[in-house]
Amino acid sequence: MVNGVDNMNSLIETKSLSKYYGKGNEIKAVDGLDLTVYEGETFGLLGPNGAGKTTVVRLLNCIIKPSGGTASVKGYDILDEPDDVKRVTGMLAESPGLYEKLSGYEFLEFMGALYDVHGDILAGRIDELLKLFDLDDRRDHLIEGYSSGMKQKLLLAAALIHDPPIVFLDEPTSTLDPRAAHMVKELIEELADSAGKTIFMCSHLLPVVEELCDRIGIINQGRLIAVGTVEEIIAQAGKETLEEAFIALTGGVDNGELLAWREHNVQP
Amino acid sequence: MAGGVLAAWVFYLAPMLVQSMVGEFQELLVSQVAVALFEIILFIFSLFLVLIPVSNALKEEGGVAQVELMLKAPVRPGDVLVGEFMGKTVIYGIFATLAAGLFTALLTPLGLSYVQTALIILMAFLTCLGSFWVGTVIAAVARTTIGRTAKGKDIGKALAFILALPMVAVFYAMINGNIFTLLLDPGTDGLVKTLLGLFPSSWAAEVIVAFARNPANIGAVGMLTATRVGGMLVFMAATLAIGWKVTDRAYSLEPASMGVTVVGPDGAFFRAVKRLGGGGSFGSLMVSSLKDYSRRMENLSQIGYILGLVVVMNFTFVDDASGAQMMGLLMSTVMALFLCSEATIRGKEALFIYRKTPGGVARLMKAKLLQAWLFVIPVMVAIWGFSAWRFNLAFSVPFLMGMGNALLTAMGNATISMGLSFTNPAYTQKSTAYMINFQGIAFIVLGTMILPDMVLDMPWLQMPLAWAVGLVLLYTGYRKLSNME
Repeated sequence: MVNGVDNMNSLIETKSLSKYYGKGNEIKAVDGLDLTVYEGETFGLLGPNGAGKTTVVRLLNCIIKPSGGTASVKGYDILDEPDDVKRVTGMLAESPGLYEKLSGYEFLEFMGALYDVHGDILAGRIDELLKLFDLDDRRDHLIEGYSSGMKQKLLLAAALIHDPPIVFLDEPTSTLDPRAAHMVKELIEELADSAGKTIFMCSHLLPVVEELCDRIGIINQGRLIAVGTVEEIIAQAGKETLEEAFIALTGGVDNGELLAWREHNVQP
Repeated sequence: MAGGVLAAWVFYLAPMLVQSMVGEFQELLVSQVAVALFEIILFIFSLFLVLIPVSNALKEEGGVAQVELMLKAPVRPGDVLVGEFMGKTVIYGIFATLAAGLFTALLTPLGLSYVQTALIILMAFLTCLGSFWVGTVIAAVARTTIGRTAKGKDIGKALAFILALPMVAVFYAMINGNIFTLLLDPGTDGLVKTLLGLFPSSWAAEVIVAFARNPANIGAVGMLTATRVGGMLVFMAATLAIGWKVTDRAYSLEPASMGVTVVGPDGAFFRAVKRLGGGGSFGSLMVSSLKDYSRRMENLSQIGYILGLVVVMNFTFVDDASGAQMMGLLMSTVMALFLCSEATIRGKEALFIYRKTPGGVARLMKAKLLQAWLFVIPVMVAIWGFSAWRFNLAFSVPFLMGMGNALLTAMGNATISMGLSFTNPAYTQKSTAYMINFQGIAFIVLGTMILPDMVLDMPWLQMPLAWAVGLVLLYTGYRKLSNME
């Protein structure tokens, strides 16, 4: 775990990073994001659905271009040096595309080729990753026959195929069963602690973020509304748990409203 | 409403329209070809009504999920099936109306009795609706058996495609007249006639022709009328009962297993493709892309469809080598249409895999373009090889030059298809973008054929023009994908 972040190198830095959509830019997916993520830390970006988490990940991986502001990833500018940024990052997307007619081995081979991983290194790395993710016995099966948990593990392996120093994980455990989720959580810890990777994780699963992340940021309607350790966030919101703090900061539903619909639909 | 339209069409509009052709029509009815003609028309109608729901069910995404919703609701599976049938019958009833109206319109001026007219309408309706019911039942079974696994869905899409081929073959044979020759030829062994006679559509045809030859004299064909109409009623009742019985099985979501597909090491073909791509990363990308393409049975069925179409057209329309080669060019348009949006149809997220990687967009486009060429080249060679075999052509220099030009034109057309698909990415075959691309490819490819040949009288321009347009579209596609959000 990383505690003294002040002494560390910043690896991701955003300055007023913004992404607007729609006519007249009325949809502010990300609005003036100023954020620093340090080398070796596990950073969690929390937010409700549609808050802008995935847009931030896509911006920092140069998949989409910002409407305003800029960012650097491991010293590379996302606007001027997109190919360099792409080489130093791995990404597990929330709704990833998969080539279902390839086997697990072939998919990793394909992903390795996309990142120009040399053939000799690639074969060994694929073997290691398939063993690590417990997919070795299904390596030659077509992906279309994989369960959703197996697909998620394969995608995580694909994000690591070029051994990037920074790994972006967008909702890494949301589709996994408890056993697979536990394995992925352990792996994330290993990646951060032993392999020295910097992890940038998006999730709306508070326990996962609370357990894994050194620092968290809370984003709501495109704006970063809080940053700090879990304890700092809780203290900042004046609450006792991260869940209460999250709801207080992002706005929750009044308990009285929850079953209000029944009042209007009571059968005679 | 439908009844009113039918009555107006049958008793007023259509008789007025056919009044001028009565003489010729009477001659046709007493000729030998009459029964064959009506048999074929009704058979195509029936085949169409069976295949449309089946084909739609095989292609549809999410059909199983809908079945799950229905099974969860307190509704009997039989009710669901009948509901589906009745709901669509309103639309398919139009076909029945047209069929009934067509025959009665043609026959009323001959002086048919009301009973004969009513029986013709009944037979036409039962033929159409019976066929549609059979199609609905088969579609329901297909949806919940084939559609339950990824492999099954793949097979379903391939079948949906290839199912059209028999219909096209019968249609072409009818236009060409071969099928009538076959049916009327006393030397024919009778297999085609016997097979066709087994279909209820043929019973309707026999009744229609019998009435036309004996207007207002139903007694003269009493036995034939009784057996054919009775047979049709029995057929209808039996299919309804069987369909109802199999409903429970049709709407079942019991676990299905089609086995797991395990792939082996790369064979000689993929190793050769990898070498063709330079042997390194790009070669691997090409191989991956080609594997993903060639393992989809839908894509293989497209190749089968084209080759089947070539054979059918060769034996129906093509009489000489130049005709065969012209058909080859036409097939290159069909292939360009089959490639429509192939590169993007796996969804936006699959494209983002490339967007995430350095130089990914350019590599995606190169790999997909080479893959498209690897699709069109062997098919065009097969088409030319087939014409050479059929017309005993020597592999002379002019022949090889002609084939080379056809190959390059087909590659240019494939480039147009890929370029337009990149310029206007479509992520599903039901999207508006897909429809636009499909029509756009047809329009542009045919334009690059017609403009130089028929307007400018410079047929040599066809191939370079296809390439020029294709390359421009590739460039616009590159810009589009690079800036896509």
